[in-house]
Amino acid sequence: MKAKSRKLALGIMALAVQAALAAMPLAARAQDVPDAASLTNPTSFVELGATYASRDSNKFGEYNGLYDKGGSFLGNFGLKGGDAYGQGFGIRRWELEGYDLGTTSRELRGSVEDQGRWSLGFGYDQLRHMLTDGYQTPSQGSMGGNSFVLPPSFGVVNTATGSNGTQGLIPTQVQSFRTVDIYSERQNASFNAGYDLDQNWNFKFSYDRLDQSGAKPISAASDAFNPGPGGYNYRGEAIALLMTPTSYKTDTFSLAANWTGDKGYATASYVASLFHDDNTGWSFSNPYVRGATDPATGTNPGAAFPVDTMSTPPSNQVHQLNLTGGYALSPATRLAGGLSYSRNTQNESFAGSYTTTPDTMPLLPVGSLDALVENTHADLKLTQQATRALNLSAGLIYNERNNKTPVNTYTFLDLGGGAQTVTNIPMSHKRTQLQLAGDYRLTRSQRLHLGYEHEDVKRWCNDPAANNAQGVLSATNAGYYTTASCVQVPENKDNKLDLGYRLKASDAVDLKLGYAYSRRTAEVNPSFYNPMQANNQGFENFGYLAFFDASRKENSYKAGVNWQASAKLNLGLTGKLTKDDYDSTLGVQQGDAKSLNLDVSYSVSENSIVAAYGTWQKRTRDLLTGYDRNAVALVTTLWTNSLADEDTTLGLSGKQKGLMGGRLELQEDLTYSLGKAGYSTALITAPAAAGNLSSGDLPDIRSEMTRLRLSGTYQLDKAAQVVMGFVHQKLKADDYYYNAYQLGFTPTTLMPTNQQAPNYSVNVVYAAYRYSFR
Amino acid sequence: MNAIRRALLACALLGAVGAAAAQTASGPLPDLGGGHRATAQKGLKRDAVCTRCHDEMDPKPILAIYQTKHGARGDARTPDCQTCHGESMKHLKGDPNVKGRAAPDVVFGKGAFKVSDDKLREEVCLACHKGTARTHWDGGQHATNGVACNNCHRIHSAHDRVRDRKTQTEVCFGCHKEQRADTHKISTHPIDAGKVVCSDCHNPHGSAGPKLLKKNTVNETCWQCHAEKRGPFLWEHQPVNEACTNCHTPHGSNITPLLKSRPPFLCDECHDGPHNSRTPYGTGAAGIQGGLLPAGANPNSNAVGRACMNCHVMVHGSNSPAGAYLHR
Repeated sequence: MKAKSRKLALGIMALAVQAALAAMPLAARAQDVPDAASLTNPTSFVELGATYASRDSNKFGEYNGLYDKGGSFLGNFGLKGGDAYGQGFGIRRWELEGYDLGTTSRELRGSVEDQGRWSLGFGYDQLRHMLTDGYQTPSQGSMGGNSFVLPPSFGVVNTATGSNGTQGLIPTQVQSFRTVDIYSERQNASFNAGYDLDQNWNFKFSYDRLDQSGAKPISAASDAFNPGPGGYNYRGEAIALLMTPTSYKTDTFSLAANWTGDKGYATASYVASLFHDDNTGWSFSNPYVRGATDPATGTNPGAAFPVDTMSTPPSNQVHQLNLTGGYALSPATRLAGGLSYSRNTQNESFAGSYTTTPDTMPLLPVGSLDALVENTHADLKLTQQATRALNLSAGLIYNERNNKTPVNTYTFLDLGGGAQTVTNIPMSHKRTQLQLAGDYRLTRSQRLHLGYEHEDVKRWCNDPAANNAQGVLSATNAGYYTTASCVQVPENKDNKLDLGYRLKASDAVDLKLGYAYSRRTAEVNPSFYNPMQANNQGFENFGYLAFFDASRKENSYKAGVNWQASAKLNLGLTGKLTKDDYDSTLGVQQGDAKSLNLDVSYSVSENSIVAAYGTWQKRTRDLLTGYDRNAVALVTTLWTNSLADEDTTLGLSGKQKGLMGGRLELQEDLTYSLGKAGYSTALITAPAAAGNLSSGDLPDIRSEMTRLRLSGTYQLDKAAQVVMGFVHQKLKADDYYYNAYQLGFTPTTLMPTNQQAPNYSVNVVYAAYRYSFR
Repeated sequence: MNAIRRALLACALLGAVGAAAAQTASGPLPDLGGGHRATAQKGLKRDAVCTRCHDEMDPKPILAIYQTKHGARGDARTPDCQTCHGESMKHLKGDPNVKGRAAPDVVFGKGAFKVSDDKLREEVCLACHKGTARTHWDGGQHATNGVACNNCHRIHSAHDRVRDRKTQTEVCFGCHKEQRADTHKISTHPIDAGKVVCSDCHNPHGSAGPKLLKKNTVNETCWQCHAEKRGPFLWEHQPVNEACTNCHTPHGSNITPLLKSRPPFLCDECHDGPHNSRTPYGTGAAGIQGGLLPAGANPNSNAVGRACMNCHVMVHGSNSPAGAYLHR
């Protein structure tokens, strides 16, 4: 008996040991792997460090805040908390984050909410958009200001025939040029709040204030003024690239009520957008004299130069009401739709938007426009799961822009000093779209899509004065009027058919094919007279139509295949071709766009992945037009212009985790892009007089960008990391656009700015200490 | 009992206590306080059906869902595992007809089981996420192309990349390759800088606007940031009224600023007779350096630099009474 007891006792001990051995791994496991707390609770972090950029470049720092050589503070943080985490019972959640705090691209965001009850949030975002590199101007006046004058000591620029004008600025004039970095800065502050009344109702409010400052480069052409200061003849249509102020404020308010029921849902909202421009215009000097008896370039006129005025965008408002909703008529049938109505108004005083001398306007019909555009939108869509394999949808969309702005006739002097009388033409249009589609599952792995869309666009002018502003019939151009009329193409109709096919050929292969055909027709107003001109140049030639409303056929083809070649290797290939053929006798004749893309990704291991891609894109456009003017018969002196825009983009990236005993993580990204756009002009039939004609191929607008980004994160301990990175970015650009702005090479009536195509090679290093905590 | 046996017994007892402690630390039903306790406990009890297997040891960070709104158990609306993945009885209890473990009723991601049909996956989400931004989901471009909610969203992850402005574009570029290439061109919106992201203009959940734009029209979308172009102006420019995309291409361009073509050739696509739009410009548009014109020649300011826009500056519209020809 004693032996049996010993055996039993030993058995218990063995079991106890076995239990302990079984349990210990459990205890040990609970400490080695991420525990539940680390997965269910948020991690906050603070990151402090520094960045260093190797050189100044406004183009490199166009948006990222790193436009100056040197160091800057690097600060990022993300803080989270609340009792809604960690498998608890709470619903409170809060978050505060900030990024790029040391640059002009900084942002700050915060929110707090009781989930399912209420929420509050705020945001601040800054963006400085650097617009020029090396822009120079002799004009006095700060960037962001509204006055760009030249002192009399600058001296006139003589542009009389035979003079070399701005090509021959004298040394004192050249020395007065200064370099200005033009930028436009946005600061966006926002606030939002939400409240859940119950399971069905919630309300949302948001306010956004967009504050824009700085300037943008814009051309300004002078007014003729004869005789002007000094008794000289100042010419019009002479050009300077100056800095229009962008001192704007946009306040946007939105209030929405959302209802959700068992079968339906609806949202009613009001949105207001109030735009204010601090300026109505800006002024600039005209130093250009043109008379044969006017003095040489550099001569002080003895009095201030004439001052011309350029307008700025008028302050305006939009108030919009929206209603959207949906309802499940049955489990298989759903209806969704929306209505929207808005009033867009503008009544900025005309004062300050035109040159008072010499553009005196004693017959200004009104002091401001009192403009009103009503925008209406309606949409309705019915979808039905007709059978297990068939889905159908039918939709209708209506958009209308109804311009009810008053029409008046304005008398002014054009740039050359000629008196013009023009009636404003407020334009309206509406677009109605009918969309029908069916999706059919041929088999478990094959789907077919068939869609049809009909679109009708109508254009008109409300005011009879605008519609009938044709004036009298032209004596020289039969069938045409001498002043303006409304639109050239009062109606377009477009019918589109599209087909799609998807095949899951195997667990590893997906295939997609698509084709669409669209036919747009234009109803042409045979008596159209271009409203932008009120003299005998104001008509388009016989048979000429603008591309965006001309009749055309469009064929689009799409194909794509994705192959999961193995557990580690995935390849994707897609291609697209769109061809447009226009019916216009003159105008854009055809255009096409092609693209091809290959993506490859390879999982080297659980902790390492490599990916590469290549994209090729090409777009072409062919234009046929005429040199002479003829409103009633086809011109015979024809010329063509072709555009070819081609891009190649290559990318290679990698990520490695778990290096150096799990402490080090690396990321690499290499991108190369080459873009070329070129124009080619050919004369089909040369006119009798050569004039300013030229033909041939323009140099390509070319840009080649290479970017290498390397980053690494090293875990010092459980909470602390060191983050380091290196960026090398190089841009080589060539653009004939800048040729005209070089001193000595400008047109004689265009002030140089000496801007160059952006080229840079910049290295950036950064290092930061990141502390993470819960 | 000798010393060895006492030691072994002590180890066994300590080990068992340690195991119990560890089990409690990672147990599915922690001790909860008051307030939303009942709601949370009910939800966690339902979750435990799944989390007793799919715990912190799971190769995917399943439990990270508790950092998200989908894991806030104190909110009565929050779904539990089976709300989204289905009751999954065969997965839980076994299916004699299936070798190994049967799949859950709804499988969202690639893994051991075949992914469920996109319609089934999206219906799960739309059962709660009705209306507002998803009003036009049915029949929309993503829905008809087999893109379901979790193709873009990561529900179990603490960081849903598509909802974070810093990482959103990477998700969209997973399918939209042309737009990825466009953002590397010389003229772009600040997409790479993270200041403008896809959802600032597009509503990927469906829209009555063209190309899934979040507003009713192209222009209304652009005016969110560019209200200075809204007008209405005294002198309008017709292609501007109808669509900004008549001249601009918003994802990226070789021609600044985001233009499809450059003056004078851009203007030639709509204008023929008036003024200088009838004149062909070849290499002369590149000025003296273009090679055709001799040194000392006077390049034509209708062709070089900003060409037509040297004088016709206010192409978006002018509110000046002297601006009928968009000069002022």
